Amino acid sequence: MTNKKIISLVLGIMCFALTAGICIQVKTVNNTNSKVSKNYEQNNLRAEVLKYKEKYDNLLRELEEIDEQLLKEIDKAAANNSELEESNKKIIEGNKVIGLSEVNGTGVIITISDSEIDQNSVLDSSDLLVHDKDILKIVNELKNAGAEAISINGQRVILTTSIVCGGNIININGEKIGSPFEIKAIGLPETLANLNRPGGFLNYLQEERKLKVNLKKDNNVNIPKYAGVLNFKHIKRDK
Amino acid sequence: MIFFSILIACLLGVVVGLNTPMISYTYSSYLAIAIIAALDSVFGGISSVIDKKFNMKTFISGFFGNAILAILLTVLGEKLNVDIYLAAIVVFVGRMFMNLGNIRRYYVEKWTEKIKNRTQKQKNS
Repeated sequence: MTNKKIISLVLGIMCFALTAGICIQVKTVNNTNSKVSKNYEQNNLRAEVLKYKEKYDNLLRELEEIDEQLLKEIDKAAANNSELEESNKKIIEGNKVIGLSEVNGTGVIITISDSEIDQNSVLDSSDLLVHDKDILKIVNELKNAGAEAISINGQRVILTTSIVCGGNIININGEKIGSPFEIKAIGLPETLANLNRPGGFLNYLQEERKLKVNLKKDNNVNIPKYAGVLNFKHIKRDK
Repeated sequence: MIFFSILIACLLGVVVGLNTPMISYTYSSYLAIAIIAALDSVFGGISSVIDKKFNMKTFISGFFGNAILAILLTVLGEKLNVDIYLAAIVVFVGRMFMNLGNIRRYYVEKWTEKIKNRTQKQKNS
C-alpha cells in the first residue's frame, strides 16, 4: 500500500468513529425530553432524576429476571413430585387471584383526564380535575359490577391498595400517578359497560364536571401484576 | 482519494450510529466532549495532509489521547465542581478554526491558480 492509501484508510476510520459517535449523541439528546432548561441547577436535578430512573428500571428488570428464575426452579422442583405439583398449582391460582401475576381477559378500559375548558369560566376550578375520590368511586362501581381484576395506569388494585390524594397527583400503591388515568378492569364487558349508563357516575363526570371520559369494551384486557411486596405481620390464622 | 474515503466513512458512520442503541444519559456529556476532541483531530489530520507533513503516529495518538484527556478533564471538573470542559472546548474549537482556515486557504489558492491558468491558455490560443 502506498502512503496515501494508508492515510485515507486511517482518516476514513476516524471519520467513521466520529460520525457514529455524533449520531449516537444526537439520538441520546433527542430522546431525553429535549426541553433544556437554562438553569444549571435544574439541569443537574434533571440528570439526577434520570439517573435514578435508570437505576430503578435496571433493578426492576433484574427483579423480573430473578422472579422468572424462581418460577423455573419451582417448576423443576415440583416436576417429579405429585404433592408438590398440586401445591404449586394452588400457589399459581392464588397468585392470580390476589394480584401477584399478570392476567388478561375480557373487560373494559376507562380513560379519564382533566377537563380542558377554561378555568375562569367555572365557579370552582377544582371540579375540572380528576380527584382521588372520583377514581375511588369508579373502582368501587367496577367492583360492584363484578370486576375480577382492576388496574389504574399500570398499578394493580389489590387488597392493600390505597388511593390517596397527593397534591396534583394521586398516590396509588404508593406510586405517584397523574392524569390521564387509564382504568382497566377484567370481568363481563356488558355488565362493566353499565357504568356508562345515563345518570351514572361516569355520566355525571362527563356532563357536570366536563371531564374527558371514555369507556370502551375490549376482548383482551391485559392487567399487570402488583409490583410491590406483600408483607403481612399482624394477621394470624384463627385456630 | 482521501476525501472520497472520508465521505464514504461518514455515510457508513451515520448508518451505524443510527442503528446502535442509545447510551445512557449519564455518559452523554463525556461522549460530547470526546466528539469535539475527535473532530479537532480529524480536521488537524486533513490540514496536515494538505501541508504534506502528515505523521501517522502523531495523528492516531492525538485522536485517542485528546479524546481521553478531554473525558478525564470533564470527570475531574465534575468532581471539583468547575466546568473544566469549557476550557477544553475553547482550545479544541479554536484549533479547529485554525485548521479549517488552513484548508480553506489552500483550496482558494489552488482554484485561483487554476482559473488564472485557464484564462491564460484561452488568451494564448
